Formats: sequence, structure tokens, C-alpha cells
Amino acid sequence: MLKNIYFKATLLSIVLLLISCDKDDTPEAENEMEVLNKTVIVVTKLSDDSSETYNFEVEEHDHGNDHSVLPQTQDDDEHGDHTVIELKSGSEYKFEISFLNDTDPNNIIDMTLEVINEKDEHHVHYELAGNGIEIESYSGDTIDSNGNALNLVTKWTTSTAAEIEVEAYLIHQPTSKTGNTRDDFGGATDVEIEFEAHVE
Amino acid sequence: MGYNLNTLVPTAFLILMSVGSNYGQFCSTSFEGNIISLEQNIPLESAVVEVIGSNMIVTSNADGYFKLEGLCPDSIIKIKISHINCHDYFREIDLNKSLFENFYLDHKFEELSEIILTDDKINDLSTSSRAFSISELDKERYSDSGLAMLLEKISGVNTLTTGNKVAKPVIHGMFGSRVGIIYDGVMLENQQWGQDHAPNIDLNAFDRIRVIKGASVLKYSGSNPGGLIIIDSRPPKITDTITGKTIINSSSNGRGGSIISSITSTKKSGIFFRSQFTLKKNGDLSSPNYILSNTGSNEKNISITVGKNYSKSNIRAILSYFNSEIGILKSSHVGNIKDLLRAIESDTPGVINDFSYNINYPNQDNTHYTASLDYNYFFDFDKKLGLKYSFQLNKRKEYDLRIGDFKNIPSLDLNLSTQRINSNYTWSNLFNEFTNGIFFELQDNYSTPGTGVKRLIPDYLNTKFGGYFISTLKLNRRLNFGLGFRYEYNSNDVYKYYRNSRWENENYEERLGNYVINEVLSQKLIRKKVIFNTFSSNAGFFNEFKNKYSASIQYNYTERSPNIAEMFSGGLHHSLASIEYGDPFLKKEKTHKILFDFEKNDGKFNFRINPYFSYSDDYILAQPAGFEQTIRGAFPVWEYSPISSIFKGVDLDFVYRTKDNIQFKNSLSWVDAKNYETKEQLINIPPLVINNEIRIISDNFKNFNAIIEHKFVDKQNLFPNNNTMTTVIESGEKISKVVDISTPPDAYNLFNLNLNWGPYNFVSSNIYFGLSIDNVMNKAYRNYLNRLRFYSDEAGRNFLFQIKIKY
Repeated sequence: MLKNIYFKATLLSIVLLLISCDKDDTPEAENEMEVLNKTVIVVTKLSDDSSETYNFEVEEHDHGNDHSVLPQTQDDDEHGDHTVIELKSGSEYKFEISFLNDTDPNNIIDMTLEVINEKDEHHVHYELAGNGIEIESYSGDTIDSNGNALNLVTKWTTSTAAEIEVEAYLIHQPTSKTGNTRDDFGGATDVEIEFEAHVE
Repeated sequence: MGYNLNTLVPTAFLILMSVGSNYGQFCSTSFEGNIISLEQNIPLESAVVEVIGSNMIVTSNADGYFKLEGLCPDSIIKIKISHINCHDYFREIDLNKSLFENFYLDHKFEELSEIILTDDKINDLSTSSRAFSISELDKERYSDSGLAMLLEKISGVNTLTTGNKVAKPVIHGMFGSRVGIIYDGVMLENQQWGQDHAPNIDLNAFDRIRVIKGASVLKYSGSNPGGLIIIDSRPPKITDTITGKTIINSSSNGRGGSIISSITSTKKSGIFFRSQFTLKKNGDLSSPNYILSNTGSNEKNISITVGKNYSKSNIRAILSYFNSEIGILKSSHVGNIKDLLRAIESDTPGVINDFSYNINYPNQDNTHYTASLDYNYFFDFDKKLGLKYSFQLNKRKEYDLRIGDFKNIPSLDLNLSTQRINSNYTWSNLFNEFTNGIFFELQDNYSTPGTGVKRLIPDYLNTKFGGYFISTLKLNRRLNFGLGFRYEYNSNDVYKYYRNSRWENENYEERLGNYVINEVLSQKLIRKKVIFNTFSSNAGFFNEFKNKYSASIQYNYTERSPNIAEMFSGGLHHSLASIEYGDPFLKKEKTHKILFDFEKNDGKFNFRINPYFSYSDDYILAQPAGFEQTIRGAFPVWEYSPISSIFKGVDLDFVYRTKDNIQFKNSLSWVDAKNYETKEQLINIPPLVINNEIRIISDNFKNFNAIIEHKFVDKQNLFPNNNTMTTVIESGEKISKVVDISTPPDAYNLFNLNLNWGPYNFVSSNIYFGLSIDNVMNKAYRNYLNRLRFYSDEAGRNFLFQIKIKY
């Protein structure tokens, strides 16, 4: 009985010596390397070659406990409204979309190159809520090994004046590369941005 | 204690020594009992019961019943039970305390020679809670499918799954850190905090599996209000024998199979050796209507045990390796909430490929190493000192669908190492048993950097120490009282990176600003020591009456420190399209739980009724907490937060045996869990489950038995509404839609069939054959407790053919 108590006392003192253990190695920071956190669309009017650049960069939090209200804010707009891309009616525009990782401002990575490298596994789709714009692949676009255009470069042809909401998707491993709605493509969404196309 | 142990124990010893001389007198007390086969749970006929030191011998009848008559009241007898298929067994019976007991005998082909009393009132667990044992037959049947599936046989135990192969046990509606797994006396330490992290353990490496529902066993842990699963190997015999067992499984669904083999060698000198391995492989599983692409898995495990039994001590060393590679249903990788909506609205998975054995992304690769050393010393009469050291290393890699250079780099790469040293000291006399012990544990978690994804779990060093005291007292002939305490000190030295945006949003500067040790890019590194002191206790009464009924009431008070994920996790769950955050300011979770147990354990009709009730303060629960906008769209955020919870539930078990060796079994479990303040239901609570079973053991065909199982799982109508809204473009118009992640799937019925043949003698070994059909009707159904239920049906019909060789 007594021996046991001595034994425990010894063990306890070992324990008390050990509890001063600290974790000494400071872990290194993890950079989110593959994350596409910025999307850029360069819109060029084909008739006069004038161009404008639209940035979509999102990191917003909404900490209400209400799940039923969706935040629609994106960085490039000052009043919480959608980014608006102004277009003229009866015109042709070139839309060049690119995907960036600018987590480290000193080392901005152009992820569009990865998308082109894995062209069979990616697809860009613009989904429009309304009529008045025709979209097709344009010269300079990437074509995958099955002959499908990726829609990285597209030509937008406007007809009459309209305000159209647009959703742009970068789709990873789409089950199909042909279709009209997002549902037709399957796969997983890597990028989803929203803007309004105002055709005047 | 109110009396002196040092004098009491020798007195008890003297009483024992004087027993022999009493037999010559004429007395009229009788002792009776039943002898039951542990493996098949059937009565054992022709077992010989002998009172040592007398010429009193009786044999058990066809019902396994025996009665010893002409014994002297209030005396102590020593009995020996022998049966042709079983090892001899010796035990002392105090007739002052007991006039009736059931004895469960183990078969000889097992390397065990132990009898388990039906009631665990005095056993190694020292708890007044009831332990549920798994039979050898069931254990073998589920040797291929794993621990969690096997435990579902027990009422009140469910499984929470991620797809088909990642399954973790749920007891009384609680899971994760609230359910502990103890293997060979060691708490399993792996990433148990995540819902998609299954325990890294091979049930085939152990002899005995027991479940304590709804209570902690303070000897091992004080923080498991859900319950404990205790898995162990029994001590070997001291004879010259070599025994072994090989099971070969072949299953149709997934075109897979497994080989499980073990060999045990014991020597008269006390030396023993045991080695065991398991190899499993299957390809894509199938639901009734389509292939579940990327659901293949591989598993390879090996364990080696060596040891020596001395007359007063024993020593044992165990080394084990566990590795599993599990494919996760391809279509469950979604990019954002609209993808999830599309999956919910579709009846079939988004990706269905041809059958394949390949495991592609996403997948999990888990490795678990264990090394442990045990030493036990027996002092004098019924005093035992145990010492144990254990080391566990758990490596977990999770691969996602990624692009570019990161395609083959895991997005999660965790290394968790745990060392533990503990001692326990047990002393007992005929009436009471006491155990106490202390322990010290050091746990280090390290994330291999370079994954390109923020750490889901931060690096930390956890230091724990504490002690416990438990006692079991016999208050009078029928009444036992158990009481226990456990104290733990728990310190986490945490290094955590916070993104600046999160930091500002949560206003962490105020409370965590002093802990910032580094700032890089858009992140802040904090180092903080989070310390908890927990004190858990339990008390229970256990009463037997009329020789066949028993009743118990148990009160448990559990304090649980928040786990590291609950405090510090941060990351995206692809299958749920949600972002999860921990809360660094959580308090310890405090649970009061009361369990009742009433049972009849005699005759043809037996039952067990087990209602329970619990109330928790600061119960930690992941709850919806707004949205986070990313370039992929808006993601719902789930945050761990404290609530007050109440759980109430009941488990019922009924068994009826006819004379013709037909046994009907029925069990039911139901639980209701609510947020005490808001009255809202808790998520992922098992629905009503009813299991029915008919077991036929034919007398005419001696070597055959059949089991027909029916399982009814009700639709869970008690669920919280965590639905979200999103907007989609449909037919050229933008509309709002509900993403229904809350509504549970419909009720379903499943039928299983299990046929067993054997033993047949073949070259000094016994061969058994088994054929099981799971989901006989090939029913397409979805399971509320499967996190991937939005994406696909459960697996369809499976034929499992088994060959079991015991030598």
C-alpha cells in the first residue's frame, strides 16, 4: 500500500515536470495558392478598339443569423449593387475573362494559364436573364482536344436596349460542354460572378 | 472509507478458507443459474457444475438451467463449470449475496477462457452502467464492413456516415468527441472531431467489443456523455497451444473482398504471441439504379502482440498499423451552393462512370500506428497495480478536386501524435471494489505546410493529466452502489492563423490582440494557451430482485473540454458547400444525464427497458451564422456555438425464445433532442429505428442456422430548418430558390438474410460457411444520417460469402 503511494508520488512529480512542455515550432503561413480570388473581364468594343477593364474581387462577410437573405455585394461596386458593364446597342464587343490569385500582392498568379493547361477539364459559361445579347466564341479563345471552345474569349453582339443580369461561371470538370443553362454543364463551380449588362 | 481495509481483507480470506468444512452439515439453501453460449447466445446443455470440496455435481438441462441444492445459507462456495466445447471455469459464489446467476461460456476455439457475467456489476469497468456485448457470430459477419456498422446491432447506437465507407458511431444521439473508443485500454486518438472522420480501427484485431450507452467509464475518460465503445483482447491461457482463425469474405456489391487472419501461440512458461492482419479491397459500390462512382476503398492492417504471464504479474507489448484509403463519391464535390441545389433537385448523381477499382479524387488516406506496453502486478489477495504506456501516431490526408500544380497535393495533411502514461490500482474484497489511477498525456498536432489551403485544424500541443477514483459497493444482498470521480487538466498551446477579414469581422482584436505573434500577408498568427479543468462524476444503484429482474438508476455528470475543431477550425466543406468556423471562447460543456434500466433476464421471454434524459449547458453545436461571399458565390457559414440542450430517449429490447430453438428479437430506439431555449430540434439526431430478428437454430440440421433481419427507419420529423435561399436563372429569368438541406428523407424498410453452416472438420480445423444478403429487396433509399444523402441513394443489394477457418 505504502509502496504504491511512493510510486505515485514519483510519477506525479514526473508529470509535473513534464507539464511545462510547450509547442515551440511556429507554423509557417499557408497561402491559398490555387484559389481564384479575382476575376477580370476586359471588354473591347470591336468597332473602335476602345476597352475597359472590370475587376471582380470578393471577400465579404455577412454576419446576420438570417440564412434567407443573400448578400449580393461585390467589391467593385460602391453601393452594394452589381457591377454594371455599359454596352451600346447594335454593337460587337470582345469579352476576355481571366482568373487571378492575388492573395500575395507581390506575386499575383494568373490562374487562366492553369485553366488553359487543363482545357479539357474547364469551361466558361455566361448565363443571361433576358434577351438582346448573342454570345459566341471569338478568335484567341482556347479550343480543347474535343474541339469545344472554352469561352475565355467571346464576342458579344447586342441588338436592342436592355438591362440584363449576367452570371459568369468557370466550371471544373463539366459533364458536358454544350448547353444553354448552367444545369446543362454539370461539374463543380470554381468561379461565379454576377454583373449587369446595360445595353443602351 | 469507514473501515480498515488491511484488517478486512484478511478476514474475508479467512472466511473463504473455512468454507470447506461446512459442507458436511445438512443445509437447505439452493443456488441456481443458466449456462449460455456466449457466441451463439443459446442455452448450453450438459454443462457440469461442481461444488469444489464436496461431491455435489449437477448438469444443466436443455434450457441451460441448473440447480445446486442442500447448500448452507450465507456461506461461500467455489464452483467449477465444465462443458465439452468450453474451457473449465472456476468461481466463488457468496450465497449471502447471490442465489441466482447467468454464466456465459466461451467456446474453446477462441483463445479465451473467460466467462462474462450478464451483469457487469463487478467487472473491470467498475461502473453501474450496463455493458452490451457483441457476439462472436455478429463480429465475424461484420468483419468486412467495419466497426460502426457492427455496432448498429445494438439499440440506441446509430452511425453517422459520409458516403458508404466513412462511418462513425452515434450513441443516444451523440457522436464525435462525445463518444469515446477505448482499444486495449487506450483512448483512440484520431481526428474524431470531424463528421467525415471515421475511427481508424480494425475490429478484427480484438476479441471483445462492448458498448456502454450513455455514460462515461471514468477509468478511461470523463468526457463522453454519449457513451463508450470498449474493445479489447482477452488475456491468453497459460498452456502450450496454437490457435488461429482465418476469415475470407467476398462481396458482390463493389466486387470486393477481404482476408482476415490471426494466430495466437501460448506456452506453459507464460510466454504468448499473437499476430493478426486484415486486407480489404473493393471497387465502386452500386446503388439499386446506378454506380456510385469513386467509392472504392482499400484497407490494410497488421498487429503484433507479445507478452509473458508470470505467477504474480504479466507484461504485454502491442504494435499495430492501420491504413485505409477511401474514395469519396465523385459527385459530392460541389463548387458552390447552386451546385448543391442542382444535386438536391436531381434524382441521380452528377457523375456516373463505369465500374472501377481506381480511387480518384476526392479521397481520404488515413494511417494509424499504435505502440503500447502494459504491466500488471498482483499483490497479496485481490490487489492489482497496472501501468501502461502508449504511443499513437495518426496521419490523415484528404485530397480534393484541384487544379494546376496542386492536383496531387492533399488539401488537408494532419499528423497527430499522442503519448500517454497511466497507472491504476485496484483493491477489492468480497463486498466492494475500488480503483484509482492517474494519467498524463501529451498530444501534438502538426499540419504539413504547403497544401495551398488554410489549415482546417491549427497546430497545437495538448497537455492533459488527471486522476480518478471509482468504487463499487455491495450495500446488501441485492443492492449495489457505484460511485466515481475523475478530474482532468487540459491545456492547449495553439498556433492559429486568422485571415484579416475574419479577424476584423469578429472583432478579435479586442480579445485576442495580445496574442498576435506574427503578421504575414493578409493573416495574423496568434499563440494562445487555452486551459480547462474538468471534473466528472457518476453514481448509480443496481438492484436485483426475484432472481430474474434487475433495475438500475444512474446519474452522470460530465464536463467536456471543447475540442480543437470546435474552438479553432476554419475551412470549406465541399460536400455541404459550407464554411465552418470554430469559436475560440467556448466554455466547457456540462452534461447531466440520468439513465434508468429495467430488465428481465430469465426464462423464455427477456426484456430490457432503458429510458434516459440529459440536460447540457454550453452544449457545443455547429449552427448557421450568415454568409461569406467568395469568388465562387455566397457560402453559408456554420459556427460552433454554445446552447443549452435536452435529450430524452428510450431503448427497448425484447427477446423471446421458443423451445425449438427459434429466437425472436425486437429492439427499438428513439431519441428527441432540442435546444432548451429556442425549443428548436437539433440536427443529425437519429430517427426512430426498429430492428426485428428471427434466429433459427435447427436441431435436425445441426450445423445450420439462419437469421432473418428486418430494419425499419422512420422519417425523422424532428429536424431544424437550416435551409438557405439562392438565386438562379431559369428560362431567362432570375428567380429565388430554397436550398433544402434540412428535410430528412423518407422512411424505409430493409431486409437482410444471414445463413451459417458449420463447423465441418477439415484437417484438424473447423470450417464454417456464411452467406449474407444485405438489402435483399434492393431497396433504393436515402439515409438522414449520411452527409452525402443529397447526392445519391445508399448501396443496393449485396451478397456476402464467408469462409471461416478456426484452428
